[in-house]
Amino acid sequence: MKRRHLEVGRYHGLGTWTVLCFAFLYLPIGILIIYSFNASSLAMTWTGFSLDWYAKVLRNDSIQFAAVNSLVIATITTLFATAIATAAALALVRGGRFTGHTASLGLVTLPLVVPEIVTAVAVLIFFANLNLNLGIGNVIIAHTTFCIPFAFMPIRARLVGMDTSLEQAARDLYSSEWQTFRHITAPLLMPGILSGAMLSFVISLDDFIITLMVAPAGATTLPVYIYSMIRQGITPEVNAISSVFFAASVLLVSIYWLLSRRVMSVPKGTGTSNASGGSRT
Amino acid sequence: MISLPRNSRTRTWLGLAPAWLVIGVFMLVPIALMAVISFLEANPYGGVHFNFSTDAYVQIAFEYDLEDNLVFNPIYINIILRSVGLSILATVVCLVIGFPVAYFITLQPPSKRNFYIYLITIPFWTNLLIRTFSWILILGRNGVIETPLLLTGVIDDSLNMMYTNGAITVGLAYSYLPLMILPIYASLERLDFRLVEAASDLYAHRLEIMTKVIIPLSMPGIVAGCMLVYIPSLGAFIAPDLLGGGKRLLLGSLVQFQFATARNWPFGAAIAMVLLAFVVVALMIYARSARKRALIEGDL
Amino acid sequence: MADGVEAREIVKTFGVGTEHEVTALNNVSLTIRSNEFFTLLGPSGCGKTTMLRLIAGFEMPTRGDILLFGEHMEDLPPNQRAVNTVFQHYALFPHMSVAENVAFGLRRLRKPKDETDRTVGHMLELVKLGDLAHRRPAQLSGGQQQRVALARALAPGPKVLLLDEPLSALDLKLRQAMRLELKQIQRETGITFIFVTHDQEEALSMSDRIAVMSNGEVQQVGTPHDIYEYPVNRFVAEFIGDANFIPATVAGFETDMLVCSTVAGRTLRVRGSGDHNTGDLVTLFLRPEKVLLHRQGETSSGRLAGEVVDVVYYGSETSYRIRLDDGTVILAEDRNMLDGSRRFAGGEQLFVEIGAETLRVLGQ
Repeated sequence: MKRRHLEVGRYHGLGTWTVLCFAFLYLPIGILIIYSFNASSLAMTWTGFSLDWYAKVLRNDSIQFAAVNSLVIATITTLFATAIATAAALALVRGGRFTGHTASLGLVTLPLVVPEIVTAVAVLIFFANLNLNLGIGNVIIAHTTFCIPFAFMPIRARLVGMDTSLEQAARDLYSSEWQTFRHITAPLLMPGILSGAMLSFVISLDDFIITLMVAPAGATTLPVYIYSMIRQGITPEVNAISSVFFAASVLLVSIYWLLSRRVMSVPKGTGTSNASGGSRT
Repeated sequence: MISLPRNSRTRTWLGLAPAWLVIGVFMLVPIALMAVISFLEANPYGGVHFNFSTDAYVQIAFEYDLEDNLVFNPIYINIILRSVGLSILATVVCLVIGFPVAYFITLQPPSKRNFYIYLITIPFWTNLLIRTFSWILILGRNGVIETPLLLTGVIDDSLNMMYTNGAITVGLAYSYLPLMILPIYASLERLDFRLVEAASDLYAHRLEIMTKVIIPLSMPGIVAGCMLVYIPSLGAFIAPDLLGGGKRLLLGSLVQFQFATARNWPFGAAIAMVLLAFVVVALMIYARSARKRALIEGDL
Repeated sequence: MADGVEAREIVKTFGVGTEHEVTALNNVSLTIRSNEFFTLLGPSGCGKTTMLRLIAGFEMPTRGDILLFGEHMEDLPPNQRAVNTVFQHYALFPHMSVAENVAFGLRRLRKPKDETDRTVGHMLELVKLGDLAHRRPAQLSGGQQQRVALARALAPGPKVLLLDEPLSALDLKLRQAMRLELKQIQRETGITFIFVTHDQEEALSMSDRIAVMSNGEVQQVGTPHDIYEYPVNRFVAEFIGDANFIPATVAGFETDMLVCSTVAGRTLRVRGSGDHNTGDLVTLFLRPEKVLLHRQGETSSGRLAGEVVDVVYYGSETSYRIRLDDGTVILAEDRNMLDGSRRFAGGEQLFVEIGAETLRVLGQ
């Protein structure tokens, strides 16, 4: 028998609205990807299927140079940002309440609040005044600064959710402080560190405006190169390189997502998580 | 084997030192420097003269006419107003699109919820430049919208959708929609569904359940979402640059223009300070509303 | 007068067509009289809360009808039913004051403002919270929140009030006080109360009638006295208080007595005959407090010799586990008297008297 009214709290059209919203989110990217297979050299006119533009991207030395720059910058940035964020998170979560706690927390999350363009020009002014030109070093410094909070957030979340009784149990079982950190805290914290690292990698890879302002000649990253291509006129080659970039991002985010789904569920005292496996060796 | 300092306070500060050093030196100091520069005189050939001057700020609202009198100049004020206006508009668009979606996701079984949230976060983590660029293919001359309409004769000339306030708003809303949905979802997920049942039990009909219970109780998420869309929209560069064609500047693109093209650093710095001030005001309003709510609900 | 609430052959299945299909209610029929304090009693998962949610309208029955004062309700949403609920954890609106919470239903019913104010004042008086009207729920104690929930549900003047384990979150003293108060409010307002609980003491002390439920089915409906003294089956007997179960065979009949012999070979007489035949296997049921304990006696007079195995002291009474000389272990309970004359120690020998009128034959 068909019932005549919806359950309490349900509304008509919510599902349809959600489908439309996902269409809004994904259709533009879908169209971009479709056009990247367009044989025509005019970006907007469809003439037939072709992989030519991908081949052209592969042969384009400038793109490869920019891509290598991007990867190098993102890798080094991730190492720095994650290390700094881990130390800061440990200090802030396990350091108890102390004068400067709020200020420190505010400082670490500051790059999230300040508009990117402001960060960009401020760092630009700073480098210019110091006459600092370290090539991609400049970009790495800027990226590290604003990637710290992205690495910090998941690490802190993991630490806050972690049961201190596990560490107390280890201390009770005659571990020294260092052994406790080495065998208990660090392995349990690892998933948080990994997601933090993943986030800062993606953020660094995607960043455009700060790099645009700060990068000296020769330190062009992929987004900045794509921007200059768009500026020169929209060609199917832009669509192709954008699609590749998009696919790479989706891959990274999916890895991050699976990783966090699997291990971010913090063990509450039972210590059944696989994350702690192997910590005894 | 690393020997850790015994004093835990010292250790805490040692842990925080790298963060203070990096963010302090490469963010706090540069912003302070920028504030200083905004009060210096511009060197017409780029760079600055080290003389105190409020010219950069005066220039936001006034200019010198041919006789060297200060006259009101609405150009930059208009840019500021347009920035605020379009940011608010984009925020409203995101709220209207995002709230029902967040609510819909909340109603799903937990396993499905995670997948929906994954789908919401993907666009957010992919390159903003690329995502904005894709709108050129849609809105542009001979784009996905125009071409079929031109071919079927519904229209016989370009709709000129690009380089409009509308295009910028769509771009901004598209850029930051996930930032609206996620905090609202987080709020709604914590909502005790029995309150919805209680309202229904006490004769509230659908609309009243929404306006009297669900919306008020998800207010923290709504306010947070609005902040997360409004603040980056104010400072946005990509959307006004690509979809506004560099002609319809917003605060963010104006700052970039002053540094990259016009090379008037004090003026660019002054605009950046104005932008920062708007952000600080928004954050203060946010903090106050959060504090007030905590007081009212006795959560302190 | 029409019955208050009638549930006819209700079936409620969750997750129909999925692998998690669960039948919460299996063909339940109930008639709840108007002005009655009716309790749905059972262990968790027995379907009592589902029944309540069906009456409130939060769930739709898979099959069956629900009538409220003779009118079909099963297709109406909760906001169109003259039924209000006191939720288990109160579900007070955290963003509204106490007065706003209580006024919520009245406002949705578009009552005039002065009437609303009057009713709210009256309701807060009724639950003795007049001076807390402007507090937020988070600033109240558990007991106070409970009263607000009650006032909020009573304010719109429902025909039926549903109470979903409203006392479970309170501590013992408060719970006992609230029992009396709830009962009194029910009598004063004359509203039909349907009360859900897993606490048999609560059910016995407040209800006019009780429905004992288990596994989605109603086991027995009756007054507290009926349910306690004349349980229809072993589940009901066990769920409502402690009980001894003695397996036996019907050996013969005497004048309105059933003669049974226990597995251990003892002969017990049971008042009442029932439709049993000689040779039937039956279960005899006996409440521990009906067992009389004596220091002296002769087995020939119907007293059974035994030895105290365990003693548990409860203050007002003491519970004994006694092994009879045939090996049967039974539970007995005795009031503690002032002089301590009736107290037994572990290992002590005693005599046990089981009256023919205290034994019942249970159906299976």
